[in-house]
Amino acid sequence: MKRFLIALALVSVAASQNPVSGHGQSLEDLNIQIHGYATQGFLYTTQNNILTTSSSDGSPAWSEAVLNITSQPIPKLRVGVQGRYFLLGNFGNSVTLDWAAADYKANEKFGVRFGKVKTPSGLFNEIQDIDPSYQWSLLPQGVYPISSRNSILAHYGGVVYGTLKLGAAGGKLEYRGWGGERVIGSSDGYWVSFVEEGIVFPNGISGATWGGALHWKTPLKGLMLGASDTKDPNWSGALVDTYVVPAGPSAGVTITTKGTLVIPGLNEPSYFGQFEKGRFTFSSEYNRLGGKLDLTGISPVPDRFDIRSWYGMGSYKVTEKFTGGLYVMQEIDHATPLGPARYSKDWAVSGRYDFNQYLYAKAEQHFIDGTAQGYDSALNPHGLKPDTRLTILKVGVSF
Amino acid sequence: MKKMIAVFFFLAAAAVFSSHAGAQAIVIANNSVKSADVSKSDLKDVFTGGASSLKDGSHVTPVLLKSGPVNDEFLSTYIGKSDAAFKASWRSLVFSGQATMPKALETEAAVVEFVAHTPGAIGYISKATPHEGVKVLAVR
Repeated sequence: MKRFLIALALVSVAASQNPVSGHGQSLEDLNIQIHGYATQGFLYTTQNNILTTSSSDGSPAWSEAVLNITSQPIPKLRVGVQGRYFLLGNFGNSVTLDWAAADYKANEKFGVRFGKVKTPSGLFNEIQDIDPSYQWSLLPQGVYPISSRNSILAHYGGVVYGTLKLGAAGGKLEYRGWGGERVIGSSDGYWVSFVEEGIVFPNGISGATWGGALHWKTPLKGLMLGASDTKDPNWSGALVDTYVVPAGPSAGVTITTKGTLVIPGLNEPSYFGQFEKGRFTFSSEYNRLGGKLDLTGISPVPDRFDIRSWYGMGSYKVTEKFTGGLYVMQEIDHATPLGPARYSKDWAVSGRYDFNQYLYAKAEQHFIDGTAQGYDSALNPHGLKPDTRLTILKVGVSF
Repeated sequence: MKKMIAVFFFLAAAAVFSSHAGAQAIVIANNSVKSADVSKSDLKDVFTGGASSLKDGSHVTPVLLKSGPVNDEFLSTYIGKSDAAFKASWRSLVFSGQATMPKALETEAAVVEFVAHTPGAIGYISKATPHEGVKVLAVR
């Protein structure tokens, strides 16, 4: 299915050549473009190590490099592919396929994109991994967790999209609908806590996904209101549980058990808005993710979750080159017992300086309370403290 | 001292006047584009990737100047962004697979040449640049 979709996307380029005339198109006609960007981040924390880095000692283990190749052989057809090297602490350190898709835009009202495509849910999902495009170094983690980027950003399948004009008094309505298969890879950050328990998912887990989003550009200039909903009816994947007997006559003996993880019926609604006026931008979003994990073949571990997150963020363009920003984020898992592991609250202050259209630098300070997001026990062997102060410095270049 | 202040105000006024005097960017389009004018909001949509046609249904393809005062003035007047912010917003569309970066040309003469020979092309130049073979769109 996945290979078929990507092959189909590539074949559509060949199909766009003009076989009737017998003349192949030149590279100029194909309008091939190559773009890319690279970033290097530095993290420093008090109290806890965060995002699987040794951040309390100061960690430069946050690097990304992206290469993008696109072609527009005819005005209505675009084809492209994008690869990414990503390293954040123990996450990534590998090259992955961001997306590979063909896009046919018939007119303003209807377009279709297929292959491995970005999932257009929420306010920022399509661009949450594109560091040059926004103010922040770290988006609100309750809604856009960096540890699971590769899984929740894209799916294999398609997206239909378009814009409907509602008249002078109604503004514009942008719609997106999507469907296909999503894969949470074996090395996804979502599995960190499982791996620490000795449970791995050799092939990750996968399942169908579909959803829709509406962005209403209201008649009030600069104001957009929107909502999206993602349905993941049934995901499953094989697991391997490895247990080393710690003491007794069988000490050191490794016991391996095979089983299955099933996540039935995930639903993820999101409501968001954005207001831009002059140098000021304000955005806000509410997101809810509820469901349960069914582990079979090993000792049953009841694991329900009902995560409700929101954030409000504002930025102000102080000069042509410098923008300052502030956001507050809160995430609470209502299915988790009371305590710091139940929530994460984050106040972030950020500054971004664009030296020119290619080079920029960011500095960000986070004041985080709660431990629901971003921590592992391997790098915090003495337990987690309830609050963390995180400083991020980042430099990026794009072309 | 009074003379110095007078000279200072004269120079400041001259600087302000000259910056406005330079605000002469015009919007040009290929003759295949039916419209004779374009609204400021439609123009912004086309040049920010939000639309690929005008109200009359004409499919349009934006073409940019790589840099320079006319480019800066057009972006500031009609798009409301600096060149760096404008390019950054296009890159976010490119890197998320939603668009291809518009063609950017070195000179205004090259923009006129491209627009004249490319159906649907829409671009901007200074009023003083010769622009035979293209139509000028009034911005409402």
